[in-house]
Amino acid sequence: MLQGALGAGTLLSAGALSSCAGSVASATSSGTLVRIWDLLGGSDGQIMGEIVDGVREELPHVTIDRTTLAWGAPYYTKLAMASTGGRAPEAAVMHLSRLIGYAPGGLLEPFDLDLLEQVGITESDFPAALWERALFQDELYALPLDTHPFITFYNPAIAEPAGLLNPDGTLVEIDNPDALLDAGRAMAEVTGAQGFSYGYLSDAAQGWRMFWGLYGQTGAGYDFTPGRPVDFDDGAAVEVLEFMQSMLDGTVAANNSDYGGAIANFSTEQTGLIFSGVWEKTSLQGSIPDLGGATVPIIFGTPAAFGDSHSYVLPRQLVANQERREATYEVLGAILKRGLRWADAGHIPSLIPVVESSEYQDLVPQRNYAQAAEWIFLDPPVWFAGSGSDFQNRMCQAMQTALQGLGTAQDAVDTMIGEMNTFLETPAPA
Amino acid sequence: MSATTSDATAATPSSAPSAGRKDLRRSLRDAERRAEQLHSGRSGYWFILPFAVVFLVFLVWPIIYGIWMSLTDRTLIGTSPGFVGLANFIEAFGDAQVWQTLWQTVLFTLGSTIPLILVAMVMALLVFTGLPGQWLWRFAFFASFLLPVAVVTQIWAWMYQPDLGLFNTWLGALGIDPVGWLTDPNWAMIAIIAATVWWTVGFNFLLYLAALQAIPEHLYEAAAIDGAGAWRRLFSITIPQLGRTTWLVLALQLLASLKVFDQIYLLTAGGPNGSTRSILLYIYDTGFVNYRLGYASAISYIFFALIVILSLTRFFGGRKEA
Repeated sequence: MLQGALGAGTLLSAGALSSCAGSVASATSSGTLVRIWDLLGGSDGQIMGEIVDGVREELPHVTIDRTTLAWGAPYYTKLAMASTGGRAPEAAVMHLSRLIGYAPGGLLEPFDLDLLEQVGITESDFPAALWERALFQDELYALPLDTHPFITFYNPAIAEPAGLLNPDGTLVEIDNPDALLDAGRAMAEVTGAQGFSYGYLSDAAQGWRMFWGLYGQTGAGYDFTPGRPVDFDDGAAVEVLEFMQSMLDGTVAANNSDYGGAIANFSTEQTGLIFSGVWEKTSLQGSIPDLGGATVPIIFGTPAAFGDSHSYVLPRQLVANQERREATYEVLGAILKRGLRWADAGHIPSLIPVVESSEYQDLVPQRNYAQAAEWIFLDPPVWFAGSGSDFQNRMCQAMQTALQGLGTAQDAVDTMIGEMNTFLETPAPA
Repeated sequence: MSATTSDATAATPSSAPSAGRKDLRRSLRDAERRAEQLHSGRSGYWFILPFAVVFLVFLVWPIIYGIWMSLTDRTLIGTSPGFVGLANFIEAFGDAQVWQTLWQTVLFTLGSTIPLILVAMVMALLVFTGLPGQWLWRFAFFASFLLPVAVVTQIWAWMYQPDLGLFNTWLGALGIDPVGWLTDPNWAMIAIIAATVWWTVGFNFLLYLAALQAIPEHLYEAAAIDGAGAWRRLFSITIPQLGRTTWLVLALQLLASLKVFDQIYLLTAGGPNGSTRSILLYIYDTGFVNYRLGYASAISYIFFALIVILSLTRFFGGRKEA
């Protein structure tokens, strides 16, 4: 994911507006052309580049044309426009949480399970919950590449003197809100600044990532049905938001960090732990080589971790070319099977055999947070939600005032519910 | 026509009246023939054709198509839009966000236009007073205008950065609490206006500088002889003489500020809590993020109508002024 790469990630989305030109140009005459769009603009994008190079060697009869576009709302706009026009690439990466906004509109083609099996990919290779979410009307519309939860990274050099490490170097179990705040204070004593880094200001996702994961931990349900007022546990939401406010007290964590600032503070050892996405693993290791990782602590009872999944989809094409379609399955199968390399980017590979392999279990810190994939808590399955959506942006904005201490948690939750209802009243584009 | 005639008259030798009359008649005939050719010739159309085609395809047709779209429930991902009559317009008039974002656009326009005129004028006057190193001042004041918006917003986002940014570091040195420049709803619009003024004031500055250079020197000489001081000359000669330029700057600036999108999109994406969302940003979000093209078109046309009304007011107001 691109967003973390520069901190001011949103600024880069402007560049995306002009970067879609190259996708068709580099088609060569040798081999069947398979065009793939992705949104992997950060350090994970480089690793994907190496994976694709490997696939090129493995499948010399296929020409892979990979186009990386900036992550965010404009990516999905471009994908939708390309699909509507019927001249879309053969495959594209999409966040699984966005699938419900695309599949019903006829913008995507379902996967042919027989063809998938021919390239060695079957349902039993995937965690059941992930597979389930990739279905629409009993057909598979998305092929998950990974899960990428929101987790914690920590600096052992700070966690250890703070008394937060087990003898094996993993983070001690923290199972209630007060224990988490205490851990932050203990780390703050070591650093002399703050305990945790959490950058949420001016960000269209970070606030929601932590909130929604913790909301899932409370076990409170929800019902987002278009045309009806939202069913959302107001009390649980306020409890979560008040916890986040108490965390951002200037000692446990600063209340004025944005995405880049949080990374800077963690990398320069001003803090000992950062709440972030797995995709930051590679860049954080650049400054903290013995970086530790753990799932977000389960502090409200129910195991849940906010996350999403990069999944391949087959955008609708006006003139589908069977030869290219089959080559696409080969390419996607080969990419998925290189999950171990993909794990280097921090993401948790989707294929169970990869995660269970001894090679993966040797990867540190990946193996210490891989469990989060089983607890993955996606956005509500409704057309307007998901990664890079206006919905997430608006939720983050509503929370931001409260998190800065400029308003109450209750007011923020009221605003959020108001926004949710506005979205639910809006006719779905189909 | 008249120019041709007078040329012909001038060419007439005054020493030979009769021959002159003959020449005159011939010249007039030639001139008429040329004029006829000009009027009947079709070559002119070829010259305007390239522009006309571009104009029709990229301006007129999208306007017509947009009006049609605003009467349908067309979406970015849907294939068969249905006609919904004025439903989109009715929804837009009842949509609180349309009015909220429109109000915020007006706030931005007022908040940016006034400093963009005053600061530009003051800068032009300072440079015009004859400071040494004229080229340096001109260049320095105009240079920021040449930067692309992505660069401008990147620079300002760093300066506004809540934790490590330049402004909050300065405030900290003075013992003042940090300000959430782009994250506090009370400050975000002001912060965006400040960045906009810094970025675009150079253009207005240049217009004012040109206008200052065009004020006749003799006015100042006469005033000086009458004993007018520097302030008197400023308020009685310079500023009134800049009146036409101020009208021009005002008109251009109003239109530019009403169209605000880029810097808001890049700096705050409309946040915090929608406090900087301009109407164009709302139209963009509605059409291209939430995919409701029909509804987004309807809001666009309401906004378009308001701008047309404003332009007409200015046109008639401006004519009276002149």
